[in-house]
Amino acid sequence: MRRLINIRKKHCRQSRICIREKLNLAKWRDLLRKLGLINEGLNKVMKNSRKKFTPWLYNLPAFILIGIIVLFPILYTGYISFTNMNLYHWQDYTFVGADNYVRALGKLNSDFFAALWTTIGWTVANMILDVGIAYILAVGLNAEGLRARRIYKTLIIFPWAMPAYVSILAWRVGMYNTEFGLLNKVLVALGFEKMDFLSKNVPAFLSCMVLNLWMSLPYMIVMFDGALQSVDRSMYESAILDGAGAWQKNLYITIPSLRKVMAPVVIMTTFTTFKQFDIVYLLTMQKGSVSGSTMQTIITYAHQNAFVSNNYGLSSAVSIVIFVIIIIFSAWTNRAAKET
Amino acid sequence: MRKNIRTGLSLLLAGVMTAATLTGCGQGGQSAADANGTAANETAATVDNAEDVSGETAQQTGDSVEQDGVTQASGEAVTITAWHDNDETMMNALADVVNEKLAGENITLRFEKKADVTGQIKLYGTDAANGPDMYLFAHDSLGGFAEMGILEPVGNLISAEKEKDLLPMTLEAASYKDEQYLMPVYYETLLFMYNKDLWEGDIPSTTEELYDYMVEHTDVNAGTYALVNQHSTSYNVAPLINGFGGYIIDKDANPGLNIQETKDAISYNKKFAELQADGDYNTVTALFNEGKAAAIIGGPWLVSGIREAGIDLGIKSLCDFTLPNGEVMTPYSGVQCLGVLKYAAENKRGALTRVLEVLAEPEAGITLAKEFNCAPANSKAYEDADVAANEMILAMEKSAEKAVPMSNIPEMGVMWGPAESLLAAVNKSGEGVDAAADKYQEEALQAIADMH
Repeated sequence: MRRLINIRKKHCRQSRICIREKLNLAKWRDLLRKLGLINEGLNKVMKNSRKKFTPWLYNLPAFILIGIIVLFPILYTGYISFTNMNLYHWQDYTFVGADNYVRALGKLNSDFFAALWTTIGWTVANMILDVGIAYILAVGLNAEGLRARRIYKTLIIFPWAMPAYVSILAWRVGMYNTEFGLLNKVLVALGFEKMDFLSKNVPAFLSCMVLNLWMSLPYMIVMFDGALQSVDRSMYESAILDGAGAWQKNLYITIPSLRKVMAPVVIMTTFTTFKQFDIVYLLTMQKGSVSGSTMQTIITYAHQNAFVSNNYGLSSAVSIVIFVIIIIFSAWTNRAAKET
Repeated sequence: MRKNIRTGLSLLLAGVMTAATLTGCGQGGQSAADANGTAANETAATVDNAEDVSGETAQQTGDSVEQDGVTQASGEAVTITAWHDNDETMMNALADVVNEKLAGENITLRFEKKADVTGQIKLYGTDAANGPDMYLFAHDSLGGFAEMGILEPVGNLISAEKEKDLLPMTLEAASYKDEQYLMPVYYETLLFMYNKDLWEGDIPSTTEELYDYMVEHTDVNAGTYALVNQHSTSYNVAPLINGFGGYIIDKDANPGLNIQETKDAISYNKKFAELQADGDYNTVTALFNEGKAAAIIGGPWLVSGIREAGIDLGIKSLCDFTLPNGEVMTPYSGVQCLGVLKYAAENKRGALTRVLEVLAEPEAGITLAKEFNCAPANSKAYEDADVAANEMILAMEKSAEKAVPMSNIPEMGVMWGPAESLLAAVNKSGEGVDAAADKYQEEALQAIADMH
């Protein structure tokens, strides 16, 4: 009771101060108006513009940071792409117009388009398997009566938590290596000959894909798992009453319910898969460990055709061309996502 | 009130985050000095000495020039920083030799290990505040750095008299366009290294006898090999390519991947490759160290691992193997050299000269030879009894008489990729030598054209 009284007293005290302040302010405002120092119209405009600019002002530090970290490198790359900066003109580089772009576009030859098709095939195959397998596993993890599900969920995240470089090298030696790899140990134990999984294009593509799935599935499973928690259970109960089976529940309740939640995750993973470099490069074309496969994605193609030459003008032009291709791909994907 | 505190905290946090994010962009001498100091503490051979020196000189003013946290003026303490990507113990031993000699002159050399030294030098080669004074690396990267204009020719810092004992082959490797840019310290060549407990009988003297031995003693499915080699790495196939009269690139920057001699060498290498596992560095090293391969083609960099594995190691020069054409296997020689950056030469000329003079003397080479099996660039070092008795160094010395220094022209930098791809295509993917050689010759020509 005493506490309530104290709160009330405090409230009254605060209210009094506020009223006093308001009165004072009103007095001052009247005085300024009489003196012609306050123009109502101008006041309104200023109020409106303050309302408009204040959010921008709050975001300004973030914009400055993004500008420095994201925008500046892109603009600087654009600038370098118009110069002849290379080993022979390291400090005395000059403006060369669009020469580098002419050369960069010259690299968009049959090899580039082969790499582009490989990249598209790589992205589509990986995404179908990634989403399909992740969905099945996530649904499985949410099955009623499953014991120790938390342990499974913890174990599943492990490949995603490992640094990519470590995972890739571990797979190269631990799984695919002809002498020490698990797969070849199994093959030899079964009486088959050893196989170099990375020396030819098709096996190398599949090997890279398996590793990519191993690395990306945990993220997708966790996202699906989270999204599944948001599905209203009562819908399943109603479906059961209506006589729906597991397949129908998945098809008519689970998948439609997940679509909106999962769309951003799928789009982001599609980008990551499209511009995948580490897996293909480290498994098949790392200096000193070239495997023999000639499989190229557009990013490894760009790396091989521009970045080993120490010609920074040309490399920058190739980067900008690839950047534009990725922006177009991004716009197309976003549009497709909106339409669904 | 609470709102104000929250706003204040948010602003403070934003400010701290912004400052932290932008810290790396700083060019200030002090932060560079701190960073260098921290990094150096991990590897410096004479850290205490260096810190004392820094402490003393930090208070001095006048005509002094501040560099890397150390103030330099005539007669005052100077720290020379050199980047490398070698064994740290070895580099510290080298620093100790120099620092002992120069203790009375207040000059300290310290090495800092960096991954991808050549990439780092490209980035920091003109950055006096954050870059090193020198770097130690194989000579094949010289041409690129010389063309970039970031190196001070060593000939401007040290007299020819002081270098008179250096092996001509090492001086040749350290020179580009008739100018000596680098100071040779030691060199390496590939060797035939074998496990004395596993090898049966004498070591053959011809490559054909070696092949016969390999056929007899290799079981691919069981994973046991007579000889392993990085058969798809151009540095490791160079002994055959050079021996057959081919080349990867000539001195006029013409790639030679599809000339007949190179193709003959690659075809000849292929039959050995079929009996040498996958040729990956990690694979062949592990096979040899685990006793699953009786011999390996490698260099002194493998010795520490081999010793740890308890292998009784035998060494033979590759030049002791005769090829079917009557020539001997002729490996590349890689000379590890110190390069001086231009801005360092402007500010620390005297100290750099003294460091180079000490490194040109036999003592540095003797230390590296005795403790790390490196073949010294100084010919006088071979007069030391221990060095003269070192089997590995003798084999490298013998190889050096025939060895071809790796090309150090800038175009060499873009040749490793196409050459390795060619070897992998032939040895691993089963492509025909002629077609693959033409394809990768084209790729090499394109890569060279792209440099300009």
